[in-house]
Amino acid sequence: MRTKLIAGLLLAAVAGSVVFILLRGRAPAPVARISRDGVLLEEIDLSQVDEPYSLTLEDDSGRNVLSVERGRVCVSEADCPDQVCVKQGWVSNGAVPIVCLPHKLVVELVGTGEDLDGGAG
Amino acid sequence: MAGPVKGAGRTARLALLTAIALTIFLAEAQLPVIPIPGVKLGLANIVTVYAMFVMGPGDALMVLSARVFLGAVFSGQPMTLIYSAAGGALSWCALCLLRKGLSQNQIWLASPAAAVFHNLGQLLAACAVVKSWAAMAWLPYLLIAAVAAGLFTGIAAQALIKRLNRARK
Repeated sequence: MRTKLIAGLLLAAVAGSVVFILLRGRAPAPVARISRDGVLLEEIDLSQVDEPYSLTLEDDSGRNVLSVERGRVCVSEADCPDQVCVKQGWVSNGAVPIVCLPHKLVVELVGTGEDLDGGAG
Repeated sequence: MAGPVKGAGRTARLALLTAIALTIFLAEAQLPVIPIPGVKLGLANIVTVYAMFVMGPGDALMVLSARVFLGAVFSGQPMTLIYSAAGGALSWCALCLLRKGLSQNQIWLASPAAAVFHNLGQLLAACAVVKSWAAMAWLPYLLIAAVAAGLFTGIAAQALIKRLNRARK
């Protein structure tokens, strides 16, 4: 009985996750919201970007260089030891944010209407 | 099942388990990294599950915390300690509850559940570090990975316990 309950909960968690992943990538998310240590640094409407450019974010903890293009963004360079944010590459939908844990930096793509989606709050 | 081991025998056994877990942990760290942050097989948790079900929660906690601390030091990434410790604490709590509810042949099921809580704890720690809930978007990916990896280590732990029990007879 307990076995069935545990197995059922695990199965439900996996099924729920699959549905969530499939739904979340579809919602339009043109705004890149960049925050560090919970403070909003910058908001870029990626649909309005004409020329690709790079943006350097630097503080005591370290440096991240962002590449911004129309509809997508990535961390092209960082001086953190793990390079997880760089390896993640281009992000063009709201499925998952770019997170640089050593520098407490978060780059998430959100829709234009979402003002309080777990951002700078 | 072996009865509770006391004194020097217990200390030696704890040290042995910690050494095995640490070796597995460091060997696994040499494998190529999976592109989703925080995802790995977690082979060292075979030892955690073994310690929890054969030796008990207290001993399991000692082996787990020693391995997590030394693993962070030896791998040269002390910052990862926060995430492993948070994940380890939550998964230890889950295992404590599962220990009562599962029979000897259902131990394999404890591992995926514990892995889910490990990844949840890891992610909560990450959210606390960056002070944003945005990182929670990784949760569905981490849940799927946790169940898959947990099943693998769980079945391995089950086989290990069964064979060691047979060897002791």
